[in-house]
Amino acid sequence: MTADVMFAPASFALAHADTDRRSPKAPMDEAHFEAFYRKTAGGVWSYIYRLTGDPTLADDLLQKTFFRFLRSNPAVANDDHMRRYVYKTATNLVFDHFRESKRERGRPIDLPPSELRADRGELRHDMMRVFSELKPQERALLWLAHVEGSSHEEIAQSLGVKAKSVKVMLFRARKRLGDMLSKKGLAP
Amino acid sequence: MNDTCPFEPNVIEAALSGQWSESLRAHAASCPDCAAAAEVAPWMQSFASKDDREHILPDPAVLWLKAKLLQGNAAVDRAALPITRVQIAAYLIIAAGWAALLTWKWSALKVWMNALNPGRIATGTAGATTLSATALVVLVLLASATVMVAFHAILAEE
Repeated sequence: MTADVMFAPASFALAHADTDRRSPKAPMDEAHFEAFYRKTAGGVWSYIYRLTGDPTLADDLLQKTFFRFLRSNPAVANDDHMRRYVYKTATNLVFDHFRESKRERGRPIDLPPSELRADRGELRHDMMRVFSELKPQERALLWLAHVEGSSHEEIAQSLGVKAKSVKVMLFRARKRLGDMLSKKGLAP
Repeated sequence: MNDTCPFEPNVIEAALSGQWSESLRAHAASCPDCAAAAEVAPWMQSFASKDDREHILPDPAVLWLKAKLLQGNAAVDRAALPITRVQIAAYLIIAAGWAALLTWKWSALKVWMNALNPGRIATGTAGATTLSATALVVLVLLASATVMVAFHAILAEE
């Protein structure tokens, strides 16, 4: 294991363990970071925003996510590993935020008032409202599975749950969303 | 480890495109996981395609610079850690010294303190106390150490 990764959080260091045995990795420089950031940041922002419903908070948590990523002294390695680490960090920060603000379960996302919605599109707002009625973990599961195309193992890593549990959790989240869509007449 | 239904990606693809083969449709009807996935996949795709990012993302160069500055601060904190530990140890030693001295020579100190009144000083009997030379030395040393640590703390704060 390289010295850089020795100071990284355990999960990140473990994720790199297999590649590190093959070749020592150079620490990430600014150019590499910029390339990685430009490729991932948009997706991570959308993920955080869909989980929280608050664009300002999404900006804040995105910055914190990448600060943590840089603080872990990332080595230039497989983009997938780094992406997974970033999503895991973002998920943790979002869940920490929900815990801290004591609104993690059941409470719908704070959506902008109606006068601010006109230019944002009613449909988008309605979809956001439906999504906000899910639990944060369900939102994360559905987004990672359907939008990011993550495998069950990747989802398990991001959410800090067992890979075996993801199948059941994802099934329940899909059923819940499906029921909500049927009730609102939005089902296909 | 991963016990996803092997047909799930195909079912999702069919649900998104609307192009179902008979066999896939039959499978989706009999597989609860695939049925649930097919039910929400088009909605999720439509939801994800709504780009509602109105803020420009932070500049990576600024993030890089901030992270480096934060790392620098963290390095300073790490370097200062031994000094902080020594400082805490000094506080504890001095506090323990005072406690020991007060316990050890409490009665003698009380007599000595009582003797330090203006009347006795005027009559020249203030020095006639029961406090031994050793205790007096310890007292002076402890007082000096306390003043030094206090000054250090004040200067460090400034």
